[in-house]
Amino acid sequence: MTTCDDIEADKRNEQPSLVRLVLFFVMQGVAVILVGFAALFLSFEPVWSAESLQSNFLKPGDARAGSLLLKIDEGYADASRLGIDVDLTVSGPTVRARITQIFRNPSKDWVEAVYVYPLPAGGAVDTLKVVIGDRVVIGDIKERQQAKTIYEQAKQNGQKAALTEQERPNIFTNSVANIGPGETVLVQIEYQEPVQQSGDTFSLRVPMVVAPRYNPAPVVQSVDFKPGGGWGAIKSDPVPDRDRISPEVLDPATNAPVNPTRITVRLQAGFPLGEIKSPHHAIKTEKPDANTSIVRLAEGPVPADRDFELTWKPVAETAPSVGLFRERVGDSDYLLAFVTPPSVEQAQQNPLPREVIFVIDNSGSMGGVSIVQAKASLIYALGRLQPNDRFNVIRFDHTMDLLFPSAVPADSEHIGRATAFVGALQANGGTEMVPAMRAALSDKAGDTNYVRQVVFLTDGAIGNEQQLFETISALRGRSRIFMVGIGSAPNTYLMTRAAELGRGTFTHIGSVEQVEERMRGLFAKLENPAVTNLVAKFSDASADMTPAAIPDVYRDEPLVLAAKLDKLAGSIEIKGRIGDRPWIITLPLADAAEGKGLSKLWARCKIADAEVARTTRQATPEDADKAILALALEHQLVTRLTSLVAVDKTPSRPQGEPLKVSELPINLPAGWDFEKVFGERPRTPAMPMERRADTEEARVQIAALKRAQPVATTAPSTVTLPRTATDAELKMIAGVILITFSLIVLVFNRRQMSLR
Amino acid sequence: MPRFILPLLLALIGLILFGQGAYIHAKALIAQVLLERAFEKTIATGRETKPWSWADTWPVARIEVKRLGARAIVLAGSSGQALAFGPGHVEQTPDAGERGIAVYSAHRDTHFAFLKNVIVGDEIDVTRRDGRTFRYRVDTTSVVRFDASGIDPLAGGHELVLSTCWPFDALTQGPERYLVHATMIGPVSNTH
Repeated sequence: MTTCDDIEADKRNEQPSLVRLVLFFVMQGVAVILVGFAALFLSFEPVWSAESLQSNFLKPGDARAGSLLLKIDEGYADASRLGIDVDLTVSGPTVRARITQIFRNPSKDWVEAVYVYPLPAGGAVDTLKVVIGDRVVIGDIKERQQAKTIYEQAKQNGQKAALTEQERPNIFTNSVANIGPGETVLVQIEYQEPVQQSGDTFSLRVPMVVAPRYNPAPVVQSVDFKPGGGWGAIKSDPVPDRDRISPEVLDPATNAPVNPTRITVRLQAGFPLGEIKSPHHAIKTEKPDANTSIVRLAEGPVPADRDFELTWKPVAETAPSVGLFRERVGDSDYLLAFVTPPSVEQAQQNPLPREVIFVIDNSGSMGGVSIVQAKASLIYALGRLQPNDRFNVIRFDHTMDLLFPSAVPADSEHIGRATAFVGALQANGGTEMVPAMRAALSDKAGDTNYVRQVVFLTDGAIGNEQQLFETISALRGRSRIFMVGIGSAPNTYLMTRAAELGRGTFTHIGSVEQVEERMRGLFAKLENPAVTNLVAKFSDASADMTPAAIPDVYRDEPLVLAAKLDKLAGSIEIKGRIGDRPWIITLPLADAAEGKGLSKLWARCKIADAEVARTTRQATPEDADKAILALALEHQLVTRLTSLVAVDKTPSRPQGEPLKVSELPINLPAGWDFEKVFGERPRTPAMPMERRADTEEARVQIAALKRAQPVATTAPSTVTLPRTATDAELKMIAGVILITFSLIVLVFNRRQMSLR
Repeated sequence: MPRFILPLLLALIGLILFGQGAYIHAKALIAQVLLERAFEKTIATGRETKPWSWADTWPVARIEVKRLGARAIVLAGSSGQALAFGPGHVEQTPDAGERGIAVYSAHRDTHFAFLKNVIVGDEIDVTRRDGRTFRYRVDTTSVVRFDASGIDPLAGGHELVLSTCWPFDALTQGPERYLVHATMIGPVSNTH
């Protein structure tokens, strides 16, 4: 209304402004219509993509353009499916796990199934059983090469055989040869693992999927780019076994989850149980008696796409701070001791200020919720710094940036800049962890008035762990490395070993909700004095103890010792310093409770020690390998050098029938972004493979049934053409429309103001 | 003042959208320059050369339509990632010059935008990474559904199919593909 009055009052401008006004409304109308159309297109997009997804069901599993498809072309068909049953028994300090993998072959061919799966890094695998019909074949431990030969021989002869090999201390491969058409073979492995304790919380973790690893390209390939490369630059492949740890990963958008898993935990903690929780799975708990609980998944089988974690607390306010367990095997006694040092409040005088280097992994594997967790954790950590601390932030993917050239005081300006820097990070690119670690450990100032700590946030999804370990052991200096594992399936082997070599700790953050709680725990460790100079001494017995040199123990963590004794007599005395106060504790061995599988745990720890000594060059590779082999054969453990092999005596595959290899695909870990890891979804041609739901073996297929099943419709001899349209123009047009529209509104606003 | 916030916000979103669109085109253009270089090196050394160190693909061929002055370096594989940088050699189809149907695929709005100008009778040159060039003549064009291309890569004869999305001026993804079908005339002696 005011506008009209103005126009009437201003006679001279009447005509042009009326025209302009009309013009303006017309243009606005056009713009609105255009925006409407754009919005319509945008809202159509899901319909289109839904269609293309549906059709994508027909051509599954070409996550990595490569091996598997090629095999199909030559007549290899991936049809094998797998069900997993995890049965855990917790008795006091140890977990006994029995993992049953059900390999089923619905195809018409004889197949060899190969499945890559993770286990806890501290797990000691000692048993392999193969169940064929009503027969059970038990595996023997053999040197790796020998086991492989036996397996290959059996495979050739048409006998059923299974082989369990270690690829990494936390990645294993099961191969099962000669599964007949329509046949089901059960492979069972068992392992022993210590229960984790932190403060009054006990926990166990079952990794369920091997996260896709970033395997740096061999340096040889990039020799051209390095000036003066010459001899020095030519190195062997950093991940010589890349094929063995890179199973095919199914795109969750186009594939129903595979590998359904059921989990049962029998919990006999040795004390009345309080709260039992599983942060990543819904569970239901039964309590047959006060000391026992049976935990099951609330919703039946789940797809193997995230780690299972279970935590429990005692009913009593405080957890037992000491645990002592023994086992007699052969003519030796084995001892396992858990001691949680008391938390001593900080001494009166101010503790030394700290220099904290934060390293954050923003590689593609961190895409999805992982990067959100990592950023939240880091921002929380920045907020916890004290004004007299110094800090720096390093981010890396295949490139690397230091926020500040060197560590800066943690004043509000620097913290603000760091928070903005972290907030803007996006997950993309490869994972070149070694240069980032090197930068974090470079301690140029060397100012001993500061305690130097490196907080490293990553999912550890790399295949060249050994290179990282070598970097840490060579460059760690006085820095302490605190690994923060992010995401639903972090590489715990990398985390624990890196933290061990870096004399720090490993904190796992599995979901956004855990960020604050876990980071608070980590900061309690960073800010409070560690228990240092730890020594353990046996009064009477002579002991072979592991770890040989006890690492520093941080707030709320237990000190864990395993030892092999010649006799169970006298006591063990543990001495150390908490801050500036001495601490001493004596435990009489006679009071130790009976435990199970302690000898295996001891051997597993000794093997890990030998691997560490090999990394740090404290032992020659030959000596270390000899020690590992001896321990592995004596205690029947799968290691880098030994495998379990089981061969059924009776041949089952008729001579002349061919055997086909079937590499079982795995799920993408929950919360991962497929496109960030493998690039935009491939639209490659593929032959429709056996993807039909199988009704008879519902156990194996339950998870798959949760989603609509694809039905193969196309003939196999046609090429499916990739998607070849970008949304570039759509975006540009929408952008132009929005800009035009806003300009019009701006002009209109100005006119209105000037008219007034 | 608050009346300026909305238009400014809209303008910002507009700029971002425009930028994203422009980025896709920029990526496609710049990558081709790097790819050209890597491809020359591939021919010279006979080894797979990655155009940039973290690339997960490498150049395998060069497609050229002399009449239109159009050329593009083809990458191994037709994953979405590869297609952002150049045409892809569709997996499981033979190399150019070999028996069967070689299929190359690219985005209709970047590398294969020129396909709409290709007419029957045009000559398409494909240079392989071993440096040999084969000449094809376009004999048909067609529009098919992506999952019913009717292309049997192992068919007899020496043929070539270039594929892109159809229709050319559509803004959204659709199920239809435009195919340019060509038959080999023979190898070309290299002059450069």
